[in-house]
Amino acid sequence: MNKEASEFEPCWDILRGALTDIHNKNASQLSFENLYRASYKIVLRKKGQLLYERVKAFEEEWFRVHVLPRIAELVSGNLVSIVLLQMQGPSAHERREMGERFLRGIRSTWEDHNTSMNMIADILMYLERTYTAESKQPSIFAATIGLFRDHILRNSLGSAAEQLGRPFIVFDIVNAVLLDLINMERDGDIIDRNLVRQVTSMLEDLYETDEEFENMKLYLTVFEPLFLKASEVFYRNECEKLLREANASTWLRHTQRRLREEQDRCGTSLSILTTENITHVVEQELIVAKLDDFLAMEGSGMKSMIDNDRHEDLSILYQLISRVDKSKNALKTVLQTRVMELGLDIEQTLKHTDFSAPLAGAAEADDAAEGAEKSKAQPLSAAAQQTAAAIKWVDDVLQLKDKFDDLSTICFGQDLVLQSAVTKSFSEFINLFSRSSEFVSLFIDDSLKRGLKGKSDEDVEIVLQKAIVLLRYLVDRDMFERYYQKHLARRLLHNKSEMHIEKELVRRMRSEMGNHFTAKFEGMFKDMELSKDLAGNYRDHIRNLGDEDTRKIELGIHVLTSNNWPPEVMGRNPAQEGGGRVDCVFPPTIKRLQESFFKYYLKDRSGRILTWVGSAGSADIQCSFPKVPGKGTGPMSKERRYELNVSTYGMIVLMLFNDLPEGESLNFEEIQAKTSIPAQELVRTLGSISIPPRSRVLAKEPLSKNVRATDRFSFNAQFVSKTIKIKAPVISSTSKVEGDDERRETERKNDQTRAHVVDAAIVRIMNVIGVRAGGRGGQ
Amino acid sequence: MADACKYITLVSSDGYEFVVLRDAALVSPTIKGMLRSQFTEAQTGRCTFPEFSGVVLEKVAEYFHYWHRNRDREDVPDMEIPVELCLVLVQAADYFNLDARPSLRDPA
Repeated sequence: MNKEASEFEPCWDILRGALTDIHNKNASQLSFENLYRASYKIVLRKKGQLLYERVKAFEEEWFRVHVLPRIAELVSGNLVSIVLLQMQGPSAHERREMGERFLRGIRSTWEDHNTSMNMIADILMYLERTYTAESKQPSIFAATIGLFRDHILRNSLGSAAEQLGRPFIVFDIVNAVLLDLINMERDGDIIDRNLVRQVTSMLEDLYETDEEFENMKLYLTVFEPLFLKASEVFYRNECEKLLREANASTWLRHTQRRLREEQDRCGTSLSILTTENITHVVEQELIVAKLDDFLAMEGSGMKSMIDNDRHEDLSILYQLISRVDKSKNALKTVLQTRVMELGLDIEQTLKHTDFSAPLAGAAEADDAAEGAEKSKAQPLSAAAQQTAAAIKWVDDVLQLKDKFDDLSTICFGQDLVLQSAVTKSFSEFINLFSRSSEFVSLFIDDSLKRGLKGKSDEDVEIVLQKAIVLLRYLVDRDMFERYYQKHLARRLLHNKSEMHIEKELVRRMRSEMGNHFTAKFEGMFKDMELSKDLAGNYRDHIRNLGDEDTRKIELGIHVLTSNNWPPEVMGRNPAQEGGGRVDCVFPPTIKRLQESFFKYYLKDRSGRILTWVGSAGSADIQCSFPKVPGKGTGPMSKERRYELNVSTYGMIVLMLFNDLPEGESLNFEEIQAKTSIPAQELVRTLGSISIPPRSRVLAKEPLSKNVRATDRFSFNAQFVSKTIKIKAPVISSTSKVEGDDERRETERKNDQTRAHVVDAAIVRIMNVIGVRAGGRGGQ
Repeated sequence: MADACKYITLVSSDGYEFVVLRDAALVSPTIKGMLRSQFTEAQTGRCTFPEFSGVVLEKVAEYFHYWHRNRDREDVPDMEIPVELCLVLVQAADYFNLDARPSLRDPA
């Protein structure tokens, strides 16, 4: 026992000397093995406890004598009052200098202590590994490194505290200086980031207690909460200042910059442990707190960003909002409102345009369509104007759609939530507009009829794409179907568009809305194809018979299945329902042809009925105009042959004049009596061949712009045309906006159809319920 | 600095010197601590062990390399230990902290 005790002291003497040398940075003269062996022996002799206590006491003593005076020096009264009381003192520059000098002192003290403690712990490794581990005490390293916390950071420095009038510890000053420096950097000063980083990492290396629980780092328990609190205050003030003095665009960039700065700061000056928390503070204070105020800012808020396509602003905004709100409600609401507003603007502009550009002589916008019925032949009739309005509407809607598509792609990363919100708003305003179904169909009609000749596949593709895009928005699809059917019928019967494009469009409609939607359209295509074969076969049949008609009438026929085609085309116009359908009187030559075809048709298909629809077809007529006596030169001096393309009714009317002796005329009523063409149709027909100068093969008396019941018509022998082929404007093929009456009619019919559908659905549901009830009853 | 050197020298009480691979010797936390601070050994790369004779230190050096060579292998054959050295080698293992318990403060 005595021997053991006597061995302890020499060993301890060696170690104590070494500890002093280590603190004084004289370790290079020491042999590690020698020191290790000394502590090894002590522990083997079961004096571990004693060694532990001696070392701890030595370090405490060292602190008291050598370190604390240096710290006390650092803490000058000035520093304390300025930093802790925020007294208005020297300039920021001086304050920074003072703070950094203090932190440097702390840092070098810490570095010395840390190095020494590491070395001492290495020497005492055997103590650490055997004695401390068994005795459940904090390691000697934790115990000695913790001295820094207890004796320096938590030191209250008596005299200075009295000066201040309230208790404080060195740690308070460290925190206050750190926060002050950080705020200076936020205001644009350059600070010693490295220094800040070293001091904060010191806080990360120290724990609340010697047990060193991972979540009890001083950095986390003391500094971080203070830092977050201070940042909250800083950014709250900054946000209010921005709201007062800046605009939304500045705010966006500023916030983005601040977020980046804070992340950088965590990487360079603080700890990455804080990144998430400080980001949250900035998000809350700079984004969430005043989001609505910034979005609503006049002239720079979101409305103006959208209107002026400020893509960069919107991108930043999207990124910021995505951070704080996964459902992006604020953004969604403003977007939707703006879509609605702009959408309704389109409608307003449309009305405005109609009023501002009335054509001379055209009726007012309200009954423009009705007026158009009578003033068909005018170069740009009110109806055409309405069609133009429809196309303008569609173009505007598509433009708006493009605009928001761009926003979605460029700024919102094609965010699905926003896309569907925008789509919803589009659909909403489009369906608020009562004529959307009709306008969309008109737009397609116009594009396919006029635009596509000579256009490249890409252009066609664009039109198809647009059509489908619009179609998706429509809610009243049955209305659209009705209009489209009507327009498609006209295009097909008058050969106005290219079949493969029509089919492609319908194919896309089918994939978009299902088979049911396009069944009728496909039926129409089928009728067209069958008819083509039929007409060809019939022609062969006639040729084989050998008795070709002397007049050589070529028959092109469309046999239409009445269910697939709109009633208007089938000659079942409800407007004439009251009087029942009146078949017009065909000229005998045509009549013969019809009978011959009917006979041929029934050969294979007995029991069918063919109805000739005069209002739908057209005819090419070769006609010759004799030379006009008394004209020596010019086109009128010779006989002229022209090929005239007119509607079926036009053909019937013209045939009348074939048999009429030269110089005689027929009046309107006579013509009507001879042909039984409905008055309205006859007005159109006569208008097309007696009013426009290019196709005025009949002379009208008096020469006016309208056809009246009292007008007289005669063969226009003086007719001259520059082209051989002449097309009489076929009024019925010009798809136009419906008049109010027509529209009401369409809606009424549509409602009827819907009523049937609803009835059927109710019956179906009742049946299902009934079957169930019956089943239960049977049990 | 000696730090950069790939080998270190172990010196026994009776003056035998063993040159071993630094990486191999670092398996011992004792040697690790010895070499990482600013003590004499760290500067010279010479570690003197007055407690152990050349016979024992040779086995220790052999173990360092044995460990180094086989550290990533499985089914390693046992090292040959002469019976008469057993006791003193246990002592040495204790001294060199070779008890497989990871040191509390070993930097990863």
